[in-house]
Amino acid sequence: MEQSFVFKFLGLTFDLSGIIGSTLMAAVVLFVCIWLSRKVEMKPNKKQNIMEYLIDFTDGIVKDNVSDVDARKHLSLYAFVLFIYIWFMNQLGLFLEVKAGDNIFVKSPTADPVTTMSFAMMTLLLSFTFGMQKFGTGSYWRNYAEPVSFLFPINMIEEITNFLTLSLRLYGNIYAGEVLLTLIGNSFAPSFGVITLVLAAPLAMIWQGFSVFIGSIQAYVFVTLSMVYVGKKVTKE
Amino acid sequence: MTFQILFAASAGHIYLGNTIWYLIVFAILLILVKHYAWGPVSDMMEKRRQKVINDLDSAADNRKKAEVLANEREAALKNSRQEATQILSDAKANAEKTSTQIVAEANDNAASIHEKAKADAAQAKADALNEARAQVADISVTIAEKVIAKNLSADDQKDLVDQFIKGLNK
Repeated sequence: MEQSFVFKFLGLTFDLSGIIGSTLMAAVVLFVCIWLSRKVEMKPNKKQNIMEYLIDFTDGIVKDNVSDVDARKHLSLYAFVLFIYIWFMNQLGLFLEVKAGDNIFVKSPTADPVTTMSFAMMTLLLSFTFGMQKFGTGSYWRNYAEPVSFLFPINMIEEITNFLTLSLRLYGNIYAGEVLLTLIGNSFAPSFGVITLVLAAPLAMIWQGFSVFIGSIQAYVFVTLSMVYVGKKVTKE
Repeated sequence: MTFQILFAASAGHIYLGNTIWYLIVFAILLILVKHYAWGPVSDMMEKRRQKVINDLDSAADNRKKAEVLANEREAALKNSRQEATQILSDAKANAEKTSTQIVAEANDNAASIHEKAKADAAQAKADALNEARAQVADISVTIAEKVIAKNLSADDQKDLVDQFIKGLNK
């Protein structure tokens, strides 16, 4: 079982692979975004078209799920960065896994529940903020007792399940993808000598392609559900 | 137990440090992407949207203006055609009027000239007659004088006539 390098700093526990992966991918996202929008023109060039398509895509997700126009404006950037960032983090583990001894240094940060829970928590905190800004703190909490007051605990549980499903769906998909890829590479390939070694290559390739697809779908689902939760908070039912 | 399964990938550690790190990285990423990429591009998209709206509006305006202009031109053309016909018919009428006037005048002139000529001729004739009459009277008187003055023989008569004729020739 590979372990990531864990260290303590200021009384907090840090996992090095997650930090390396997320920082690396943040840099890549930033670089790609800046590269795509180097020359911004009224008549768009090819790179700008890609950027505008991405923005249109994430704006579409926001528009479909958030009916409040004011909240949409603030969520547009959040959805865009979240989508691209999670997409890149999902793909990182597919082509890059750096191991040194028993410690793993680079893998998909999203193949780790702490990462996905961080992002899910961020989204839910954002939805709380939007809800409180929209209705005021008092009536925001009263919304949990709607339509009847005995539903309050159920509504509270719903928040927790929202958090868990949002984070664990992403984590599960990416983690499973990496586990299967590791299994193909480490266990299946050397099991019967040359035959399985040859067989493992296309198998790994197919699974990698499929994982790219899964990573994209999961990034899309994560952003969509984030917007659904925020949208639910800013509309009165 | 479930908890351990949940965090299997984290090998039992819950690293809150990472959560904070992710939040910081994501916040910085948000700010940088907004400043360098998302902001300019979406600004440009908004600008383009406005430009398209403006262009469409001005195109509709221009089309309306062109329609009005075309209508005006058509009306002006119709008007000018009418005017031309009017002018032409006016000119024709004028010309006819003038020509009849000229012909009438000429007729009048000719008639008056004719009249005058007639009158002149009559006058001249009358004058000539009067003169002749006066002369004949004079001659008669002279002859009568001469006749009365002498009892004349035929020769004398002849002389008288000769004399008279001589006198005439004088």
